[in-house]
Amino acid sequence: MKVKFIINLIVLISLISTISWAETVTVITKENAIREFPRFFAPVKAIVKYTDALDVITKEGDWFKVKFKNKIGYIHRTAVEKRTVKASVISLQKKSGTTEDEITLAGKGFNPQVEKAYRNKYPEMKYDLVDKVEKYDISEKDLISFIKAGGLSEPR
Amino acid sequence: MKKFIFALVLLLCICSCKTVDINKAMDITFTALQATEKAARPVSDEEEYYVGRAVAARLFLYYPIYENQELINYINSVGKFVALNSERPFTFGGYHFAILNSEEINAFACPGGIVLITKGMLKLANSEDELAAILAHEIAHVNHRDGINSIKQARWIEALSIIGTTAAKQYGDEDLLKLVNIFEGSIDDILKTLIVNGYSRTQEYAADEKTLQYLAKAGYNPNALINVLERLSLIAKSGGGIIKTHPDTADRIINLKDKMPSVSIDINAFKERTKRFNSFLKS
Repeated sequence: MKVKFIINLIVLISLISTISWAETVTVITKENAIREFPRFFAPVKAIVKYTDALDVITKEGDWFKVKFKNKIGYIHRTAVEKRTVKASVISLQKKSGTTEDEITLAGKGFNPQVEKAYRNKYPEMKYDLVDKVEKYDISEKDLISFIKAGGLSEPR
Repeated sequence: MKKFIFALVLLLCICSCKTVDINKAMDITFTALQATEKAARPVSDEEEYYVGRAVAARLFLYYPIYENQELINYINSVGKFVALNSERPFTFGGYHFAILNSEEINAFACPGGIVLITKGMLKLANSEDELAAILAHEIAHVNHRDGINSIKQARWIEALSIIGTTAAKQYGDEDLLKLVNIFEGSIDDILKTLIVNGYSRTQEYAADEKTLQYLAKAGYNPNALINVLERLSLIAKSGGGIIKTHPDTADRIINLKDKMPSVSIDINAFKERTKRFNSFLKS
């Protein structure tokens, strides 16, 4: 009986501590990658989107080792932000009727709705060019070739 | 058995106490979060992105875009690589570099990572390392959030009072109208800084100092920034553009004198880079 009780006790305590204090980080870029190693051009293990929550395993220099949908890998610290604890957020949702997004402020303030209203007010603004510029992109493969050809240092 | 039941009750008490404590702590945190949001939370990365897009959309009214896909790809390769060597390699919408079809010597860092550089400024550079120095300086302004910091504080506090009182992500007509006006005012503040007043001397010096670090880390020659500044100093004050909005170039060079990182430069690699620079920009 004693042994069973102690086991139950340990399981219960570890469960409580896991639920309440597990560290999560939230993706704060439109899109980013979880990589196999803590390096910019390491193979991609998963693509993450804005507001995706990742469980932190460890921190290694500028990189977080994280778990996302059963995939473990690395993401750069500037692509994520530490935010609130899941379990406690649930209790807050019940109490105040707010959502996690509201707590974390995602989507509030100057957001797509504000931009749309601003564009309607000033249709002459050259947003078409901004959208075009945002499509200017260099593939990782091309950037690696560019770095090598120029005798430059691969970023870490 | 009695002992077990007693222990279980005790455990439940402890657990419930812990839960209460956590909830209480989180309530305090949430209240603090709300208070901070209302009082002085900074502009988020997402908000910075929308402000930056509007700043770029306005700048394109004054400066036409220059479209040459090969050159654009080259500029973006240099810029994105330098950004990866900065302290903020990722922004909400990423870094994008565009060329303005203007002979004025100027470059603009829009909040969030859109960097606009004029053809006149490109002509000032004599090598890839110098081009990297110009872009690195703008990336430093993005990283330091210098554009965002030029938004008048009172304006942002007013915005927060609306954001803080709205529970939903979608605003009602009245709040939306107020926010759009504040948004517009914020864009005006930034453009006034970018085009008319310039950043403070401290902000410019800080951007120059960071430029040296980015260049050294990337493998470029940090002295390239000095070369660009020296060439810039030859341009008369009446030249407008960057000369009008930046501190005296001689002072900027003096500021960097004892801050130059020691790096070993591979001359052959430098020549290769200059060769590809010339193929894109001098042809």
